[in-house]
Amino acid sequence: MRATYRVLAYLLALEVVVQAAAIAWAVFGLSTWIENGGVLDKAGLESDAIVFDGVTGFMVHGLNGQIIVPAIALVLFIVSFFARFPRAVAWAGAALVTVIVQVALGIFSHTLPALGMLHGAVALVLLVVALIAARKASGPVSVETSTDASTGAHAAQV
Amino acid sequence: MLGTDGARPSGGLPPLAPPPAPVRTRRRRWRTLAAVVAAVVVLAPIAWFWAASLPAGTWSVTDMGYPDDGGGTPVMADHGSMSGMGGRSVDSLRLPDGPADVDVTLVARAQTVRLAGGQVVTGYTLNGVTPGPEIRAVQGQTIRVRLVNADVPRGVTLHWHGLDVPNGDDGVAGVTQDAVLPGGQFVYRFRVDQVGSFWYHSHQVADEQVRGGLFGPLVVVPRGTSAAPSPTDVTALVHLYDGRRTVDGVGGDLAVPAAPGSVVRVRVTNTDSGPMRAWSSAPYRVLAVDGTDVRGPTPVIGAATQVTAGGRADLEVTAPARIELGGSAVVVGSPTAPAAPAPSTVVDLLGYGTPTPLDRATLGFDPATPARVFDYAIGRRPGFVNGVPGLYWTINGGMYPDVPMFMVREGDVVRMRISNTSGEVHPMHLHGHHAVVLARNGVPATGSPWWMDSLDVPDGTTFDIAFVADNPGIWMDHCHNLAHPAQGLVAHLMYEGVTTPYRAGADTPNDPE
Repeated sequence: MRATYRVLAYLLALEVVVQAAAIAWAVFGLSTWIENGGVLDKAGLESDAIVFDGVTGFMVHGLNGQIIVPAIALVLFIVSFFARFPRAVAWAGAALVTVIVQVALGIFSHTLPALGMLHGAVALVLLVVALIAARKASGPVSVETSTDASTGAHAAQV
Repeated sequence: MLGTDGARPSGGLPPLAPPPAPVRTRRRRWRTLAAVVAAVVVLAPIAWFWAASLPAGTWSVTDMGYPDDGGGTPVMADHGSMSGMGGRSVDSLRLPDGPADVDVTLVARAQTVRLAGGQVVTGYTLNGVTPGPEIRAVQGQTIRVRLVNADVPRGVTLHWHGLDVPNGDDGVAGVTQDAVLPGGQFVYRFRVDQVGSFWYHSHQVADEQVRGGLFGPLVVVPRGTSAAPSPTDVTALVHLYDGRRTVDGVGGDLAVPAAPGSVVRVRVTNTDSGPMRAWSSAPYRVLAVDGTDVRGPTPVIGAATQVTAGGRADLEVTAPARIELGGSAVVVGSPTAPAAPAPSTVVDLLGYGTPTPLDRATLGFDPATPARVFDYAIGRRPGFVNGVPGLYWTINGGMYPDVPMFMVREGDVVRMRISNTSGEVHPMHLHGHHAVVLARNGVPATGSPWWMDSLDVPDGTTFDIAFVADNPGIWMDHCHNLAHPAQGLVAHLMYEGVTTPYRAGADTPNDPE
């Protein structure tokens, strides 16, 4: 479970990178498309038929951010109950809370675009939290387990 | 671990010290148990919500959600399962058989077709073209349309967007009829008493079929005038085919020949799923909105007119002029001026036209004394619809199918407060009725009565509207961003005692969204 925890945490960190890359691709693609005469309004946005280099970035960012990232965070949180190292649940919980805040910011920034700045910043918080969680899971055999080993006289028999 | 206990010699003398192994084992067991419980606590609600959202193989619209009486006298919902028990079926809400003044046959096909402007698209046609043929009629005439499905695999229907036809002709698959499957046909017949710009489109797998071109224009001219096509009366059906904006199937500029000084009416119709804007560098007037004439339309200079998804705006220009539609334009006569950039201001229909009090004398009913007041509050939250996780629209806090059925009696004056806190604009469309806008964000309407069937409700906005329940039936009241009803943004206006024998769902051919 500890290994699973580690993999999921690294995956979460990787997802932050994917999100940043996807949205940057999309924004550059959109501006280039408009520069070359493309016209975008709400009707176009909703048509799902506007095609430019980078349009996939918007889709990846939206789908990934709203479905896959929360799913990974949730699975990490559940796995953390079984991971058995100090603060496993705490770090996974912190990652989950950060993801919830991040998704909420992603939604509310459509109403208040300035919130988008926080959305960008919280992404880095999530990256750091995920990396710390992964590192904690990669550390030496935890103190708690060794305490168990020292107090449990029959550890060797098990 | 269990083996530790089992391996201990039994019988003989009891050990002096307490058995040491269980200390750690128990601790582990407890920890595992706690972890399992924690996991269940996190997962169980999710699993429950998921299971609860799984769709039934077939469902009746009369069982979808909960009845909402709007604070009026309670109305019994007549369930489909009880349809033999005295309710009126939607099938009975049709004109008696008889002749028609305008008789049209429309043959639907799934095919690859060259648009009027030369663009080749794969989608749907009616009589071999998309947009479909223009149907023109004089007010008071009866229109009969025979819809034939040549080969559209999932079936088709036709909904007469903006025309308040009898319910049995509303063309909603699974609600007012079954989808017309390949080889089948359906005959619509209704009298047109409203004057104005309308359009028709499929309401079976509507999102995909309308996108793919299964729609066309319908124009009703006033009594005493000719329905014949006129060079000064132009329909401009705006549609994105494969992401390219077209007018009447023409990408770029649609040329409308007109002598300098001639006055031309351009019926801008938004057939897409989001609002669009129309504007001109020349002064123009907004003659009508959603088929209803504006009283005293004044010249608009330096402002755009927003046309919501499904909505229509009749714009009047004097040749030569360009009406810009964003990436496309209607070019009337031979203007020398280049395309004008989009103005940042938008005509506010709340105060456009002759100031008119909204009372019985001007509306035909008194909106101040409604029999029912409904809320249609659009929100958004994560959840499951049909077993698929996502961020979904909610109506009055509930997620599909936990949505209100707005129950009315014939003759009720109905007020509805539509509010939107979902983060996105929604073009709300009520079938079978026209409603008048009373106020936006609490600010009362001051201009010409703003009658509409399609209303742009941006995020953070509240509209108060009113209408008379004068067209018995079961009517969709949904978002005309046609992807949204499939994401749960659909409710119904239901009249007391009206039932439907039709059902939708995976086990039926019908899928109205």
